[in-house]
Amino acid sequence: MTYNEAAAELEQILRHMQSDNCDIDRLAGLTRRATALIAECRRRLTATDEELRAILSEDEAEK
Amino acid sequence: MTLRELMNVVGQLVQVPETSGVWVTAELADVAVRGGHCYMELLQKDDGGRQIARVRGCIWANVYSRLAPYFYRLTGQQFASGLKVMLCGSVSMHPVFGMSFVVSSINPEFTMGDLLRRRREILERLDKEGILNDNKSLVWPMVPQRVAVVSSPGAAGYGDFMNQLRNNSSRIRFHTGLFEATMQGESAPASIIAALGRIAAERERWDGVVIIRGGGATADLQAFEDYDLAANVAQFPLPIAIGIGHERDVTVLDYIANTRLKTPTAVAEWLIGRGEELLGFLTAAGQRVLQIVTDRLGGYRQQLAQAEALLPAAALNAVERSKGRLRSAASLLSGVSGRRIQSQLSRLDMVRDGVASAGRNALQRQNDRLKAREELLEVLSPMATLRRGYSITRIGGKAVNSVAAVPPGAVVETTLADGTFLSTTD
Repeated sequence: MTYNEAAAELEQILRHMQSDNCDIDRLAGLTRRATALIAECRRRLTATDEELRAILSEDEAEK
Repeated sequence: MTLRELMNVVGQLVQVPETSGVWVTAELADVAVRGGHCYMELLQKDDGGRQIARVRGCIWANVYSRLAPYFYRLTGQQFASGLKVMLCGSVSMHPVFGMSFVVSSINPEFTMGDLLRRRREILERLDKEGILNDNKSLVWPMVPQRVAVVSSPGAAGYGDFMNQLRNNSSRIRFHTGLFEATMQGESAPASIIAALGRIAAERERWDGVVIIRGGGATADLQAFEDYDLAANVAQFPLPIAIGIGHERDVTVLDYIANTRLKTPTAVAEWLIGRGEELLGFLTAAGQRVLQIVTDRLGGYRQQLAQAEALLPAAALNAVERSKGRLRSAASLLSGVSGRRIQSQLSRLDMVRDGVASAGRNALQRQNDRLKAREELLEVLSPMATLRRGYSITRIGGKAVNSVAAVPPGAVVETTLADGTFLSTTD
């Protein structure tokens, strides 16, 4: 799934959650899906502490 | 006659009014600055590129120190090999160094006109071939994280670019690959084309290409005004961002590449900016989800509370209404004969029982429904989230949603499902 696809689905979910015909039984499921999309995009976008350390030690090795 | 006397005669024959203070057009080659003086070869070529005239030229330091910045300011070009120039000067004969053309002034408009004409020719040719806007019409992915870099590894611009990408404060993850190329001189176009070829061979590994160089003060960008290079960039299957040189520097590639930025640092900032834009979008989306859920649940809670408050009264009212009906029925019945009364009374008893049990059932159903909604509320409430192992971090009673908002030494209040504890950040 690309960022574009994830972002489009997120927008769609938010629109649906805000609309009047979103009933409470589906709210939990939609929230879960939206949160998972956000977390996945964030995970791919940003480096973890371990990765940062690895990059920095690469730099050290180059010097 | 000595050799020196001969050279002096030649000098007198050559250094005449007709050869002094004349304007000459020529192409520059082998430009080099030594001790502040600028030395060069002045060439004239025929249409086939063959040299048909050549003379040594020089600009003395006192003239060059003034002339070089003036030339750069008006043309955006360093005084460098490959340029067509119009120079004013005088022929000079030295008994040891021979004949040379000593430059006293330059006409930048001539060079400017020649550069623009050559650039326009390249652009017109690409346009005619229908490829002028090919690279421009490609679309970068939302965040280009896999970046193929065309540069020379030693260049200061490359170092700046990599540092900027690696140390971006938003921690946006980038994966780069260096495709080495010569970034100046006559061999630059072929070298860059070769690097682009190596990237194209594994294009599915990359989101886009960055061509950068910079740092050197005497950057000559002449090499980039090249049809073959321009055609390669125009037709390249991945979007290309250009960051060569300084503020004023413009090359034909700036008109062809997908994205034109001024310096390598600006390219890095642009890439990071795209990532930060998406991060901002994600944060906003998360806040919107939270807001919607909070609003919705609040609404449902209110609705339930109202229903709860109404229920007992509704049941009592129903019983009261039944009683009233019974009383009126009884008073009606009082006038009717005994047997009829008896049967009617027993029927009334049945009706009364029925009303009572219907009331009880209705109450039971309402209670069941309430209970189901309460369970759902429980699943969605923050407490359930906390029980799953999440926590709420607060500073000064305000929830914190970014590490940027946590100063060192802050007292942090962490709320878990079964309580709260305090800690101090370091």
